[in-house]
Amino acid sequence: MTTTLIVDSLVRSFQVGSLYALMALGITLTMTVIKLPNFAHAEYVTVGAYVALVMSMAGISNPLLVMMGAGMGAVIVALLSHYIVFLPLERRSPSLYTMLLASFSVGLIIRYIIFLFVDRFDMFDKRIQIPLEIWIRNREIGLVLTNVFFWVVPTSILLVLALSLLLNFTPVGREMRALADNLDLARVLGIRVERVKVLTWVLVGAMAGIAGALWGLSTAINPLMGWVVILSVFAAAILGGLSSFTGTILGAYIVGLSENTLMQVLHSYVGLDFSFKPAIPFIIIVLVLVLRPQAFAEIFSGARGLDR
Amino acid sequence: MKKLLLALFCSVLLVVPALAQEDETETYVLGVVQPFTGSLGSFGSDFARGIDLAVMQMNAELEAAGSSVRFETASADTEGTPDGAARAVQTVVQTTGAEVIVGPLTTAEVLGAKQFADENGVVLVAPASSGAAGGIPGDNIFRVMYPPDNYAARAFAQIAIERGYENIAALYVDDPFGNGLIDTFTEEFQALGGSTVESIAYSPEPTDLSGEVTRLSANADSLSAEGSTAVFCVCFLADAQRVLQQAQVDPVLSDIDWMGIENLANPELLEAGFADFLQNANFVSVSFADTQTPLTQPFIDSFTEEYGDAPGPFTNYAFDAANIAMLTMLTVGNDGDAVKSMLPFVSNHYIGTAVQAYLDENGDQAIVVYGVFEVAEDGSDFALIGRYDGATGELTFDVEE
Repeated sequence: MTTTLIVDSLVRSFQVGSLYALMALGITLTMTVIKLPNFAHAEYVTVGAYVALVMSMAGISNPLLVMMGAGMGAVIVALLSHYIVFLPLERRSPSLYTMLLASFSVGLIIRYIIFLFVDRFDMFDKRIQIPLEIWIRNREIGLVLTNVFFWVVPTSILLVLALSLLLNFTPVGREMRALADNLDLARVLGIRVERVKVLTWVLVGAMAGIAGALWGLSTAINPLMGWVVILSVFAAAILGGLSSFTGTILGAYIVGLSENTLMQVLHSYVGLDFSFKPAIPFIIIVLVLVLRPQAFAEIFSGARGLDR
Repeated sequence: MKKLLLALFCSVLLVVPALAQEDETETYVLGVVQPFTGSLGSFGSDFARGIDLAVMQMNAELEAAGSSVRFETASADTEGTPDGAARAVQTVVQTTGAEVIVGPLTTAEVLGAKQFADENGVVLVAPASSGAAGGIPGDNIFRVMYPPDNYAARAFAQIAIERGYENIAALYVDDPFGNGLIDTFTEEFQALGGSTVESIAYSPEPTDLSGEVTRLSANADSLSAEGSTAVFCVCFLADAQRVLQQAQVDPVLSDIDWMGIENLANPELLEAGFADFLQNANFVSVSFADTQTPLTQPFIDSFTEEYGDAPGPFTNYAFDAANIAMLTMLTVGNDGDAVKSMLPFVSNHYIGTAVQAYLDENGDQAIVVYGVFEVAEDGSDFALIGRYDGATGELTFDVEE
C-alpha cells in the first residue's frame, strides 16, 4: 500500500467519520431522551440535502445560510413526525417494537413524499452547485484537502462540541440527561418533559439537516441518500451503546475508518472487493451486539444514559 | 300465471344470447412490470405511459377495423429490485392470467423475474435491458429494441486500441450490467492487442465512493508507468458525479484520458460543472444511435398530445415493445408459448420508433449502430464524432450528423 493511499484514506475516514458523528448523535439522542430507535432519521438527512440543493439552485451560495436552511427544513419534518405520529403513540405507552415500526413507517412516508417532489421537479441525482477547490496539497505524501473537507470537518466538530456543551453545562442539557436516565423521576422532579422532548427533536432535526447538506456537497442527491447511509450511522450509534455521547462519536470515526482505511488495507493485502464495503457496518453491528452489547457506553459513562 | 312464467322464460332465452353476442369482445391482458418506485421510478412511470399509449392506439385501430379483440394492461411495481421484479411478474400473472409482460427495466430485474417466467411459460418483452448476462438463447426473455451491452463493450475496446491505450484502469458497478460489460470489454481489448485491464468493482448502492476513486487513481498511476493508460468508468450517472468530483482534484485522474458508458454522455454532467474536466480528459462515450423512422415523430406527437409533456429517455422503446407484444398476441392469442414462438417473426417485421427490430439467437436486438461521442467544443453538449457498427465491427470517425 502506497503512502498516498494511506494518507488519502485517512483523510476520507476523518471526513466521513465527522459526518457519521453528526448523524449518529441524533440517533443516540432520540434513543436516550425520546426512547425511540428512529429509522426516519435517514429521511431528515435527505430533507436537509434537498433543502440545501434547492437553496443552491436558487442562487444562495453562502454555506452558512444553506446549512441553516437545511437544518430548519429537517427540524420542521422532525417536529411534524413527532406531533403527528410519535407523540400520539407515546400517549398509548407502546412497546419499543411498535415505536420502531412506526419510525420505519414515518421514514417511508417521508421518503415517498420526497420522491413525489423530486419526480415533479426532476431533481434526481443533482449536485449542490458549489465549486470544488483544492485548499491544501502536498504532492510528496499525496495529501489533497478541498474546501468541502474544510466545511465538513470543522462544522461537524463545532456542532458536536456545541451539543456537548449544551448537554453538560446548560439547564436544558441537564433536563435532557435527566430524561435519559429516568423519565418518571424527571417528571416527579418537575421537569417539563414535553418541552424537553420538543427541544430534542429540534436538535436532532437540525443536526440531521445540516449533515444532509454537508453530505450533499460531496455526492449526488437523491431520495435514497439518507437511507443508504443510515446503516453506517446506526453502526456508529450502536458502537456508542445507543446511549453514550462520546462513544457514538468514537464509533462514527471507527466506522469511517473501517469503510475507508481498513477497506484499502483489505483490498491491498487480501484482495477483498470494494463492493463488499456496504457489509462493513453490518459486520460491526453484529460483532458489537454479539460480543459487547454495551459497546463504548460502559467505558465512557459507566452507566446508562448520556455521558456526564 | 303459468303462461306469464313461460313468456318470461322465453324472453330470457331470447335476450341472454343477444346480450352475450353484444359482449363477445375478447380481452387480452398485457402485463406491465416496471419500477414505479425507487430511484428508477421516473423511468418506470414514463415507460408505463408509453405502453398505455400503444394500447390506446391499438384498441382504437381494432375498434375501427371491427375487430372484437381489445387489450388492457395490468401493472405491478418491481421497486427496482430483482426480488421485486419476480414478485411483480408473479402478481400480474396470478391475478390477471397475463402471459405476456412488457418489462422489467434493468437487466438485474429481468434476471430476477426470469426463473418464474421460464417455468410458467410467461414471455417478458424487456424494452431497455441491455446487460450481457441477459443474453440467453431459448429463454422467455426478448430484448427487442435496445442491443445488449457486449456490442458496446466491443466498441469501447476498439476505441481504446484506436486511441493507442495499452492499459485500462476501470471502475465498474458490481451488478450483472457492470460485470457483463467489463468482462466482455477486457476480453475484447486484450484480443485486439491491449495489455492490462485493472478493474475495481463498487457496490450498486454505495454510500461513498472515495475509497474506490483513490484506488482507481493508484491503479491508473501504476499502469501509466508501464504504458499509455486511460480510465474506463462503467458507472451510473449519480455515481459518476461522485467519481468525477473527486477525480477533478486528483493529480493522476485529472491528467489522464477517460472513457465512459452511455449514461455518462449526458448533458447533465456538463451542466453539473464537469465540462472542462471531461474535455481535458478527451472523454469518449458510445451511445446506441437512434435514427429517424417514419414512426419517430408521430410517436412524439401522440405522446405529447396525450400527456402534455415529451416522452423521457427510452420511452419509445417501451411503446415499441408493447406494440410487438400486442401484434404477436393478435396472431396467436394470449398463449405464452405461442407468443414465444411467434414473437421473433413479428419483431423482425416491425419498424420501430427509432430503429428497426431484428432479433439474434438470444432474442436480443441485433441491429446495432452506436454513435461515438465527445464533449463539444463549447462544452454545452456531446458531439457525434464517429460510429460503430456492431454487425460488421467497423469503427469510423469524422462522421457527419
